[in-house]
Amino acid sequence: MKFKSQKIAYWFFASAMLLLTLQIVYGFIMGFARIGYDVLHDWIPFNTARAVHTNLLVVWLLTGFMGSAYYIIPEESNRELEWPKLAWFQLISLLVVGVIAVVCYHLNIWEGRKFLEIPRPLDYLVVINVLCFLANIGMTLWKGTQHTTTAIVLYMGLLFAALLYLPGMITFDNQTVDSFYRWWVVHLWVEGVWELIMGGILCFLLIKLTGVDREVVEKWLYIIVGLTFLSGILGTGHHYYWIGTPKYWLIIGGIFSSLEPLAFLSMAVYAVAMAKKGGRKHPNQIALTWSLGCAIMSFVGAGFLGIAHTIPPVNLYTHGTLITAMHGHLAFWGAYAMINLAMIAYALPQMTGRKLWDTPMTSWAFWTSNIGMVGMTGALAAAGITQVTLERRMGIDFLAVQKEIEMHFIGMLLAAALFTVGIVMFIITFFRHGLPSDEAVGADVAGDAAWAAAKS
Amino acid sequence: MLSKSQARTFFLGGTGVFSAAFLALTFDTHSRIPARTHTEAITPAVARGKRIWENNNCMGCHTLFGEGAYYAPELTKSVERRGKEFLRIFLKDPEAMFPGQRKMVNYHFSAEQIDDTIAFLDWCGKVDLNGFPAKPPLQKTIVPVAAQQMVVTSTREVPAIFTEKTCLACHSLLGKGAPNMVMPNLKGEMVAVPSLDEVYKRKSRPDLVKWISNPQAIKPGTPMPTLVPAVVSTAQVEEIADFLMSLNPSAPPTAAAPAANAPGSAPPPPAPAPAAAPKAN
Repeated sequence: MKFKSQKIAYWFFASAMLLLTLQIVYGFIMGFARIGYDVLHDWIPFNTARAVHTNLLVVWLLTGFMGSAYYIIPEESNRELEWPKLAWFQLISLLVVGVIAVVCYHLNIWEGRKFLEIPRPLDYLVVINVLCFLANIGMTLWKGTQHTTTAIVLYMGLLFAALLYLPGMITFDNQTVDSFYRWWVVHLWVEGVWELIMGGILCFLLIKLTGVDREVVEKWLYIIVGLTFLSGILGTGHHYYWIGTPKYWLIIGGIFSSLEPLAFLSMAVYAVAMAKKGGRKHPNQIALTWSLGCAIMSFVGAGFLGIAHTIPPVNLYTHGTLITAMHGHLAFWGAYAMINLAMIAYALPQMTGRKLWDTPMTSWAFWTSNIGMVGMTGALAAAGITQVTLERRMGIDFLAVQKEIEMHFIGMLLAAALFTVGIVMFIITFFRHGLPSDEAVGADVAGDAAWAAAKS
Repeated sequence: MLSKSQARTFFLGGTGVFSAAFLALTFDTHSRIPARTHTEAITPAVARGKRIWENNNCMGCHTLFGEGAYYAPELTKSVERRGKEFLRIFLKDPEAMFPGQRKMVNYHFSAEQIDDTIAFLDWCGKVDLNGFPAKPPLQKTIVPVAAQQMVVTSTREVPAIFTEKTCLACHSLLGKGAPNMVMPNLKGEMVAVPSLDEVYKRKSRPDLVKWISNPQAIKPGTPMPTLVPAVVSTAQVEEIADFLMSLNPSAPPTAAAPAANAPGSAPPPPAPAPAAAPKAN
């Protein structure tokens, strides 16, 4: 860690871990409801659990992204954060808004559109909050002594994510138009600008961890985010097949979403190639493992499992079934959860000065959580394929089919338990690092300076 | 190989071109949406229904246009599938309709709110969705024998009470209603919902009245909902039983069944397995 103000990232990461834990708890509530133990129905009905589960996901990922930006932007700009106190205010207010939203869900107060459930007044608070964040890192970047591609791509990703939140705040009476613009937020976030954020963070980590020349890493970053937008923008069309929008979206969405895996594939190839090319064996290998794991799992989850059901003749039957949940779990885990965990695994030793990067628990956490998540995805795939066959292809009643697939959710819960063990180990390691310390400022925790000197 | 500035140009150029294309398509889509969605049919009731849909986060369990969660049924064609009356009764007390099944919150909607919600769902069902939801292509091959429909050529009219009280959302009667419905019982077994055409062969009149009044007491776990007295009054149970018994060609003609043996009505066709279906649950 170069600058004292980077320490704020720790608190964003710690909050993200807390929110992730809660997300998992609500996931279990839903899993048990699906096998018939909806014992909390009177207090936490399924729609509440579901909204809390998905919203906490979005919020913890965003919190992690913000923490990453607070760590990366000062480092890349070569100066202290412009307003460290504003960052504190922003973190606390973000958490307060989050808690209010979750309380609202338990009281049946909603805006009630998938992924955009938070009541409208809270949307305005989110906007103010994000403006504070963007101003803070933007000013740091602006006044910095260097403007790196990594920092600019990361900033652009965060800026566009904020701008694209706005179309989701317009009210429409027509469900089709409503849904059309809802996807501007949801799709253009996760299959567009979030990939910019992910690319920026991954690029930062690869530069630090592999020792490959910055110019090379950043050149490929441009190619990858270029491919992302080339396919992802018109790829929005795969959400416009069946919502009342014109038929040409079947062709446009079909073609461009078939190209979407390219961006993820190139990301995976890029990360692996850079790791091989790198002349350096960084002591923090677990951070590199998470980074490579992220690039590979995002291709499997977002790229491969995405294309598995976005072709229109397939999607006609899989749309609105558990197949979507199957794809969603591995895609979010691979692309966005793992990039956050990679960043945390890299930054924690830097911020605290404690080198806990080679304990057995760190690699157990990686493997257990990944195997658990692949197991959950497999269980959802089995449930989803059965649902599609029985309900959509054979026309059997919804509830009858749900009874048939109950057993897959037992499998899902077991895999989720394994996943949770992995996450718990990750969080234990997180807190074993202790608090960020001023002594770590300017300290060469990973031997970066020594390595750079030896290289030149 | 590409230089970094060429890579940057690829990124900025590609993003610019495809963003412009996306905006142009958005503009075109807007011009076509009114005709495809029948914007003129968005009455104040439909708009209010949409607010109710959102303010209770219905998408947190259901899907609409295939979007939402996957815990409860897809509702785009719910009005066409079940009929407004079924939805009205269902929304008043969801658990009464599917006893012991997956639960839905009872939102205690007023009659107006229920009508608005149904108006919204009805509008949704008429939007041109490019063929979604698709007709299940393999459906014909798995119809249980016991639930197969007989061809009914009776000229008897089905009394309104059977539609109003939602019997025909699951059962069929004289060629009307839901043919081939399969429902899960509480054990998770699939039960073919029997046609009402020949109930007289399976049940005596007193048994039929007892059955409709409290199905769970007679067959615990049956998917048949308990509709008495919330939806169907005891007098109406008698009316329903009267009509169903009157379908027996050897029954003495009653006031409720003036046309029972009207000339031209077909003789009762042979039942494939008259008693098999109800015994199965």
